[in-house]
Amino acid sequence: MNHKAATLTGLLTLALMLLALFMVFDWVPTEAEQGIVQRIFYFHVACAWVSFAAFGLVALCGIFYLWLGHEIFDELGYTAAEAGMVFCTLVLITGSIWAKPIWGTWWTWDSRLTTTLILWLLYGGYLMLRAMGGDSPQTARFAAVVGIVAAADVPVIIVSVRLWRTIHPAVLVTRQGGHGLEDPRMVATLLVSLAAFTALMVWLLMLRIALLRAGARLRGLAREVGLARAAVQDL
Amino acid sequence: MAGFAAILRKDLRLELRAGESVLTLVALALLILVVMVFALNPAGGARDAGTAAGALWVALIFAGTMGATRSLAAERENGCLRALLLSPVDRATLFCAKLTAAFIFMAIAEAAAVFVLVLFFNLDFDARLLRLGPSLALGALGFAALVTLLAAIAGRLRAGDLLLPLLAVPMFVPALIAGVKGGELALAGSPLGAAAQWLKLLAAFDVLFLSAGYLLFEYAIGDD
Repeated sequence: MNHKAATLTGLLTLALMLLALFMVFDWVPTEAEQGIVQRIFYFHVACAWVSFAAFGLVALCGIFYLWLGHEIFDELGYTAAEAGMVFCTLVLITGSIWAKPIWGTWWTWDSRLTTTLILWLLYGGYLMLRAMGGDSPQTARFAAVVGIVAAADVPVIIVSVRLWRTIHPAVLVTRQGGHGLEDPRMVATLLVSLAAFTALMVWLLMLRIALLRAGARLRGLAREVGLARAAVQDL
Repeated sequence: MAGFAAILRKDLRLELRAGESVLTLVALALLILVVMVFALNPAGGARDAGTAAGALWVALIFAGTMGATRSLAAERENGCLRALLLSPVDRATLFCAKLTAAFIFMAIAEAAAVFVLVLFFNLDFDARLLRLGPSLALGALGFAALVTLLAAIAGRLRAGDLLLPLLAVPMFVPALIAGVKGGELALAGSPLGAAAQWLKLLAAFDVLFLSAGYLLFEYAIGDD
């Protein structure tokens, strides 16, 4: 992981993000029914895509870590879980901001909302495990197991929550994402937002892995300094 | 198979002599049911089938997670777990034996909790209780598989007892939804067929966590 690659990704992210902001706030037409608030959709969906991709990455890294044992899979899994958690939080927040004017409530137990909340709780548990276990191969192995099991659980969660909702009549009728992207400019804006958030995610992962490694090196150096100091005192 | 039987026999014998796990499970489940009665103030009878089923499952998952922490902590004392890992029994067999013991304890606690539920929620001792059986049995099996796997991990960490419910409860959500719904239908007196989709969901959950535990327990129990 060299610095040049990270810097380039950062610049790419900046360019895409500025372009996405311009498109969302200026270029794309306002949705007829919902008005201006619908523009949050472009960031809301992009955050959701990035966080779900990150959680998938956590599980894949877990499998590869247990299989091959390379440290990079552990680092990548850890950082993907952290970044996924940030974006999942953003999904819940932007969703609430959007829901208030449109559905008239901050939160409703709709199947998608419920599933996202449970995902958030699952990966919150994963990060608690990371925090409690500290930096050791044992924690890496445990986290890999939990990451795999959590991801395997997701399809069952989706099915169960959907069945649960069909039995409970909804207070509010949910639009199944059919926000009428009739205008091609809306599709283009969404695609640029998705690209911008994906680049942001990759950049964050690169920075975080570099930080993890720097932290490990620092701890190694501190240990060496401590040993050297002890040796000098012994003289 | 001999290893499986030996470990299971050991766990059951320990339980018969000391009775720690089952007693703790039953006492906790009973306590939580009392709390639920105060919190929900149920009217009683079949009208409150949903409330009763919900209260029952809340009692079971919280009692169950606490019971699971105990079970592996007991193995760690006196280095018993090390001896188990050194014995010529593979990890998957160890998982199956531990899971079977957890399932048996959970099933006993469930029976006790249902008995108390009938009294507290003004239900009747009739055929409806038998219809609770399938969802409770499948739920207990999935829960036992899940917590056996996760307790092996949580037991190794400093604040593991706190971590276990944080990991186990969100993962148990699908089975919880299915269990509460299936239980509600049973207590309301619907035929068993009405709950078929919930039972299928519970079965899918069980298959998933039994296989996940079977494959991954070796990494969770560790030997370093």
